[in-house]
Amino acid sequence: MRTSRWLAAVPMAALALATIYPLVFTTNVALKTRHEYVLDRFSPADSPRLDNLATAWGSVGMARYFTNSLIVVTCAVALLLLLGSMAGFALGRLRFRGSRALYLGCLAALFVPFQVIMVPLARTMATLGLIDTRPGLVLAYVAQFLPFTIFLMASYYAHVPAEIVDAARIDGNTLVGVYRRVMLPIGAPALISVGILNALFCWNDVLIALLMMPSAENRTLMVGVTSLRGQYSDDIPTFAAGVLIAAVPVLVIYLFFQRHIAEGVTAGSTKG
Amino acid sequence: MPTGGTPSSVRPAPAGPTAGPGARLAERAGARPVSRSTNTDRLAPYVLVAPAVLVIVALRLYPLVLGVNFSFTGDGERDGTTVGLDNYVTLLRDPLFLGALRNVGLLVLLLPLAVAIPGLLATFIYLRVPGHRLFRGVYFFPAVLSPVIVGAIFNLLLAFDGPLNALLDTVGLGPVDWLGDPDIAIYTVVGVHVWATFGMALVVFLAGFSTLDSSLLDAARIDGAALPHIIWHVIIPGLSRTIQFVFVTTMIGMLTSMFGLLYVMTSGGPGGTTYLPEYYIWIQQGQMNRPALASAASTVLFGVMVVVGLLQISVLRRSDRAE
Repeated sequence: MRTSRWLAAVPMAALALATIYPLVFTTNVALKTRHEYVLDRFSPADSPRLDNLATAWGSVGMARYFTNSLIVVTCAVALLLLLGSMAGFALGRLRFRGSRALYLGCLAALFVPFQVIMVPLARTMATLGLIDTRPGLVLAYVAQFLPFTIFLMASYYAHVPAEIVDAARIDGNTLVGVYRRVMLPIGAPALISVGILNALFCWNDVLIALLMMPSAENRTLMVGVTSLRGQYSDDIPTFAAGVLIAAVPVLVIYLFFQRHIAEGVTAGSTKG
Repeated sequence: MPTGGTPSSVRPAPAGPTAGPGARLAERAGARPVSRSTNTDRLAPYVLVAPAVLVIVALRLYPLVLGVNFSFTGDGERDGTTVGLDNYVTLLRDPLFLGALRNVGLLVLLLPLAVAIPGLLATFIYLRVPGHRLFRGVYFFPAVLSPVIVGAIFNLLLAFDGPLNALLDTVGLGPVDWLGDPDIAIYTVVGVHVWATFGMALVVFLAGFSTLDSSLLDAARIDGAALPHIIWHVIIPGLSRTIQFVFVTTMIGMLTSMFGLLYVMTSGGPGGTTYLPEYYIWIQQGQMNRPALASAASTVLFGVMVVVGLLQISVLRRSDRAE
């Protein structure tokens, strides 16, 4: 076993390098001049320069896309956490007429992929006048990720001892008061995990954003990245800089919250 | 369940002592009129779930029904009129859609590989290969990147005059047109998808390992069992639930989260060889302005997902019983 473990470590290290190298390569290219890139793609940048990043951020328009994404993702995550924790508390911790059916309904929605409903959803959104508006995109994200959020919050609240609810009610709280004063603070760890996951999902999405935000000035960051390809096909370093700008926030979140993300992703697998 | 003296129909889930919080509440409240608070308490759960249920029903479940209905109506001049199965007939005659279904078949064939790779890697990480912590952190990272970013990066790496071909050239291998050759492009995109998502399955496997009974594993090791034997006789049976979960989620991932890659890397080309149903739906809806046809494709995709999901579950159930 011992030797086989060392034998396995070699290809695994190679795979780790292959996993990380594409991003290192892109970062390096983003710091090069066009001339340098054409001469040698692989060599480290002679004198790393931020010109490309500045160009991508400014004149290419990544700053505007970045702001669009930041606003939409912040609003969507806030709404998801509010609605998800309210419903999660009620469905995970309380029994009331119809609670089982409502929970199963939410679970069923989990298995309806966006691709299957995107045509009628676009129609409905158009009828409501929400196409090409930020509230429209926020609402589309909330609808997309709410079932997952409810599922995780409900399974978290199901493990909160019933005595805590009882005690809070004896203290004269209504159920809504119990939610606000007790369940929200108790749910903080789960809310952080679910919030980070939802932020990643919304930040990374491209299909919903393409469908909901057709006009150029409303592009989210990921849609902005897709538009770089055509515009900067002969200016690879600027293209790489644009990609890097879109990747950096995710990298930062990953470095700080890796454990939370892994917990959220695996939550469904062990409960079966 | 008898509610006994509980005035409220709303109780914390596993009701503690028979006469739960309601009764205790009533005792405490004494002479205070409880009717108002119990009335609002009876409504409270519905108030808490209402906004979420409204959003889910209006924007997730209702559109599903609407879409299926919509797939039986016409496009363009025949907008709104019932056309029966015409859209489905059109789909079955469209080489692009048939190609998309063929590619789904390819994904199903490649699925065991996409599950086995992270499974094997997770096994080694679980057995504490030197550097296992670092491997775990690095492998998982691409899984949190947007397919758009992954696709854009690989567009750079895999361009015909790009770095990978330059590298191959130095060892004497001819340039490969990774994204331009109709026979290769779909494998390239699927390969990139697996590269970008194997970390997700890996983390799920590791969570499964943490529930595995380690005494069995220790016993097998003391007996000097070889690694393949341990994997076959201890790990696979012990992780059957996790494996089942990974199979289903990986397949769903392949069917519903490759749009970004297709959109950025190939746009369905070359020659329409890299279409998947989700890309076809997008093209018909967004580019060709044929929403009813797109709805029919959506309905087929949903059917494929249901069938694939049920098939996998029944196959894995049977292998469970065979153990």
